[in-house]
Amino acid sequence: MTSTPLLNIEGLRTYFYSRSKQAFIRSVDNVSLAIARGETLGVVGESGSGKSVTALSVMGLITAAPGVISGRIEFTSGGVARNLLENLDRYVQLTEEHGRIMGVAKDAAGWRKNAEHLLGRVRGKEIGMIFQNPKAALNPFTTVGKQIAEVVQLHTSHKGVGEARERAIHWLERVKIDSPRLRYDNHPFGLSGGMCQRAMIAMALSSEPSLLIADEPTTGLDATIQSKIVDLLAELKQDIGITTMLISHDISVIKRLSDRVAVMYGGTVVENGPAAEILAGDAASRHPYTAALLASIPNETHVREKTPLLAIEGEVLDTINTPAGCRFYARCNRVTDKIRQQCERCEPDLREIEPGHRVRCWLYFD
Amino acid sequence: MPKSLLEVFDLKKHFTQRRGLFSSLTAEERFIPAVDGVSFYLKENETVGLVGESGCGKTTIGRTILGLTRATSGKVLFDRKDITCMPAEELRLLRSQMQMIFQDLDAGLNPKMRIREILKEAITVHHRFSDAEVERKTRELLDQVNLKSNKLSQFPHELSGGEKRRIGIARVLGVGARFIVADEPTSALDVSIQAQVVNLLRDLQQQLGLTFLFISHDLQVVELVSHKVAVMYLGKIVEMGLAERIASKASHPYTHILWSSLVEKQNREAVQAPTTGAWGVHDFERPLHGCRFAPRCPVYHAQGRPAICTDPASEPELRDLGDGHYVACHFPLG
Repeated sequence: MTSTPLLNIEGLRTYFYSRSKQAFIRSVDNVSLAIARGETLGVVGESGSGKSVTALSVMGLITAAPGVISGRIEFTSGGVARNLLENLDRYVQLTEEHGRIMGVAKDAAGWRKNAEHLLGRVRGKEIGMIFQNPKAALNPFTTVGKQIAEVVQLHTSHKGVGEARERAIHWLERVKIDSPRLRYDNHPFGLSGGMCQRAMIAMALSSEPSLLIADEPTTGLDATIQSKIVDLLAELKQDIGITTMLISHDISVIKRLSDRVAVMYGGTVVENGPAAEILAGDAASRHPYTAALLASIPNETHVREKTPLLAIEGEVLDTINTPAGCRFYARCNRVTDKIRQQCERCEPDLREIEPGHRVRCWLYFD
Repeated sequence: MPKSLLEVFDLKKHFTQRRGLFSSLTAEERFIPAVDGVSFYLKENETVGLVGESGCGKTTIGRTILGLTRATSGKVLFDRKDITCMPAEELRLLRSQMQMIFQDLDAGLNPKMRIREILKEAITVHHRFSDAEVERKTRELLDQVNLKSNKLSQFPHELSGGEKRRIGIARVLGVGARFIVADEPTSALDVSIQAQVVNLLRDLQQQLGLTFLFISHDLQVVELVSHKVAVMYLGKIVEMGLAERIASKASHPYTHILWSSLVEKQNREAVQAPTTGAWGVHDFERPLHGCRFAPRCPVYHAQGRPAICTDPASEPELRDLGDGHYVACHFPLG
């Protein structure tokens, strides 16, 4: 790629402190991602793998302590790349033991002020977000239309009340809510789950952002409505050409919409590359976790022959005591004797194995 | 041929909802027919999948046939005994044989009880056992659902989603149930964990001869675990038959739309989602004339809106197409 990516995340770490366990939960641990302008990046992984926390870190919506502790989030707007985590290290002091972060001292109030200053004109305006649970994310006390009009007034040049209202109705129409003029005056509880999701998408788009983060946009919806929302997102992608970071654990949705895919496991990216290669290619060219994840989806053979599904053995990674070696080592079924020691002791880095296709696995490194 | 364990005849459950503070004075009530005349049966050691969009009455059916809510009318025979008019005490005893796996993982487990206590309660609620016996049974249950015994001293919030689901299953087995209503058992889980739970339910069915009513809106999972599938729309069963048949040769337009809206299927076959008429939200209040799917039905619109579909006197009944395949439609697909 010649142009600079729209969003470039490097070495992002977001930790939380658990008082009962007296330890850090390493929700996001060294995540690096890049999204080029106009492309859709699908982020997959099981729950607790840090997909949503990554998105919330980009939006600066992490409130729990200590939160974001290191890394760079570079966002390009108006041709200028700015680090949304600038001066972070001024507020954070890390203590390391044996290469692992064991202590964090963070001036939370100072950082908050700095972050708000940096994010002020970006959040909502430049980066829009579709939240996971539309019913919970919309304000129950205000009509859907007013909530969208508020965004329009705040972030676009349509400042007048009537003007904003027309814009909001335009966006409701754009996401195919039927009779948008009537729906403008509906409260969220008067809308079905699918309609709330559409309203949510309308709200995110109404500020005309350059990056859209969609966090599980179809989870919890019925199959018929799910496919309508996916269709809508596909259409918007084609018409507006908006850059999207699509988070989902539904691989069929990712397959349909993404150009590139990042697979997350235990707080880090284990594989990153073109969607077609990762989701359809043969098992030999993938990270063992990706291969196992894809194998666990029920397909036609399972249905026809009633064979058991291939579940991933073992337990979900403990994000408090992350292992020193590869995070997937305990559940991996492709460890060979040659690399066993490496797998157990050192974590592999995310290395390019083919142009644009990066994998975090010793299997592919010589 | 295995005998039928559960038979449901013309089951109805209507809810009434009062509007506003003074509704009892004005007698203004809203009437919601959540389940509106449903009949089906389950044979022993069989899984019947119940699918349909949210709000179509799937969960209400599950709750009503277990007697968790009383039916408005109709009959539910469990082992030839009608449970709709059974005294509460007798029903309580019968519950040792029929149980429900609840949809909400967190609401289903008491957050202040340790796993050991949760399982103990299930084991001892219907039977008396000595402490040693309870201990032995607890371990046996954990074994059956593939959990380690170190989980016993933990609280529900310390478990992952898949583990919570296993505890929910273990608790149902602890009571000794042989008929289980599984309400969306995989909906909150990831694919990899979903695979574990689906395999577990299948293994348990084989080992213990369990009978399942499997409620879900995930069509792929339903197709995978069920022998038979019943498709619901607005409180009625619109199509019922063998799982393979429903998935591949659907006769009711609604079933067809449901299955072709699978994103996975669209990816594979590169087809667009079928367009229907007014694809709005269904409304229980709408006066139903004839077929309740007609306003959204592509066949109805394609046929030039035939009068029979909206004739109040001729709501389509379930018709036998042979091979245990039933459909409620005036113009079934070929």
